Amino acid sequence: MKMLLKLAFRNVFRYRRRTVITFSAISYGLGLMALGICLYNGVNTHAMDSIINVQTAHIKILAPGYFEEKEEVPLEFTIAQPQRIKSLLKDNREIQGIESRILFQASIISGMDELPCLGVAIEPEVDPQVFDIKKSIKDGRFLESSESSIILGSTLAQDLGLEVGEDCVLRMFLSTEDFIWNALDLKIVGIAHTENPSVNRQTVFIPLSIAQEALSLDNRVTELAVRIEDRNRLSNVREYIQSRLANLDTEYEVVSFKEYASDFVELMKMRSRIQVLIPLMMILIATLGIVNTMLMAVLERTREIGMLAAMGMRKMEVMLVFVFEGAIIGLFGSLAACAIGGLGGWYLEAKGFSLSFLGDKITDMLSFLPMEVYRGDLTAGTLLFTLVLGIVVSILASLYPAYKAVKLDPIQALRHVG
Amino acid sequence: MSIAKLENVHKVYHIGKIDFPALRGITFSVEEGEFLSIAGPSGSGKTTVLNLLGCLDKPSRGKIFLEDRDVTALATSKLADVRRKNIGFVFQTFNLIPVLTAMENVEFPLILAGLHDSKERRRLTEEILTEVGLKDFIHRRPNEMSGGQQQRVAVARALIKKPKLVLADEPTANLDSVTGEEILQLMLELNQKTSTTFVFSTHDKMVMDFARRIIRLRDGKIESDQKVSAK
Repeated sequence: MKMLLKLAFRNVFRYRRRTVITFSAISYGLGLMALGICLYNGVNTHAMDSIINVQTAHIKILAPGYFEEKEEVPLEFTIAQPQRIKSLLKDNREIQGIESRILFQASIISGMDELPCLGVAIEPEVDPQVFDIKKSIKDGRFLESSESSIILGSTLAQDLGLEVGEDCVLRMFLSTEDFIWNALDLKIVGIAHTENPSVNRQTVFIPLSIAQEALSLDNRVTELAVRIEDRNRLSNVREYIQSRLANLDTEYEVVSFKEYASDFVELMKMRSRIQVLIPLMMILIATLGIVNTMLMAVLERTREIGMLAAMGMRKMEVMLVFVFEGAIIGLFGSLAACAIGGLGGWYLEAKGFSLSFLGDKITDMLSFLPMEVYRGDLTAGTLLFTLVLGIVVSILASLYPAYKAVKLDPIQALRHVG
Repeated sequence: MSIAKLENVHKVYHIGKIDFPALRGITFSVEEGEFLSIAGPSGSGKTTVLNLLGCLDKPSRGKIFLEDRDVTALATSKLADVRRKNIGFVFQTFNLIPVLTAMENVEFPLILAGLHDSKERRRLTEEILTEVGLKDFIHRRPNEMSGGQQQRVAVARALIKKPKLVLADEPTANLDSVTGEEILQLMLELNQKTSTTFVFSTHDKMVMDFARRIIRLRDGKIESDQKVSAK
């Protein structure tokens, strides 16, 4: 076995140029595959984090009928006693925070300019327990309760040329169908730049009490956003909430972020199916490289194979020499692929990259992704998968050429003029 | 004692739709320690005889015995075992493994034969390479040696496992006459020293002069079989 390995190893370096080409095909192909997996995982994870941290929290408690109409952010389906629900859930230690919120349609007016936006009324003292809005304030400060103030998404502020300290008018639609609205003069106290471009482009935040008064909702809210300690316990906490709310007169809807952002979850699932094609293509490239190299080797070494057979080398041993050769190229190619995937993945994880330099058209095309900087998620599993895949594919790809080698008739092989 | 025996052996090659009879009823036996030349013009069946004696091929008719064992009907894998243990080959084109050194090429049949003691393998290899005059070349690869040196390595490789029979198919055809003579001289010395049986094919008169017995073939039949006394 040792001799067969030695023979295979030396044969690998016998035709250096061809080996280098095959090696490169495997290392670049599988390296890019590893990077692709790393980036996909990163985008997936960070996208979910972004949606949870800025938009949905982990769980939302909604009034009956709201969920179906959620795209319209209606004010008809409201929760009358949010405090009662909060007190029912306050003993659960798995719940990090519960915030009463109102989502409403609005537009922001600055001088002659008016832009539509999504209004989010929040409890300033509770919000940091549930969302990351406070962390994302890049200019000014966070909201305080009961003050007539507003925080604008960074892109929205930029589009309207508004800055911290300036005033603006928020037109709040009580009913879009009947075009009933109320307007508030508000001071801009902060500009929020979240990791989610769509939030930056179209969202404003105001204190809950101000919104309740302006929208004539008394103490009512449109949702309760719940943040939990451990995302893996999502369904357990959700069941807990459902059971605690079961005795109330109203049958509240308790939905997880996966349902709330179901369009995005579906999109990612579809993308993950497309993503399978990338490894398959890379495997195909690696396979073709190995098969070609090994077939050439069999052709060029026909007489040598005949001589080995004449010396009494068994078919299995001849086959092993070629399979080992494929495996050696595969091993080194895969190790290089892991190095490419590892280094590139580390960079993607640490620094990430933005496509904003490509211009607005590209960033608009990618606006379904709730992030501006795409970061990778490098795992040992990805690298191990790359390594094992490279070796297994190389071995499998060597089988056919190896089979061709042992099928040679020793006499014909010895007569072969190479 | 008979090392190998061919009994009324016929060999027909099927080339496309045409049957080409290469051997037409050959019978002879090879005695232990012989230095035998199979001679004849191209197409007379020399190489076919060597292939059959070397268990690389099977006859269309007739029987082949190695040390009284009928090997005619053995399966391909069994024939490989027979070759591995009993037969050494020297080829016209040397056929050394280019990525291995002289030492490793000669050592190879011992590994195939299952000798696991690497020190013993090394000792035997060095001994035989010294014997064929290549003591100073043991770490050279084939492309770093002349044709004559490569053929010496091939002879050493054929003899290392102490086979009953060494088959050499036109061993000097790719060498100049002086080097060819040296190789034949070497093979003859080893034949006399180790009593290893050598059978080689040739159509070269000089090569035939070294043989102690010459079987001449023509059109797949034995034309003559004569003993030759040493010069």
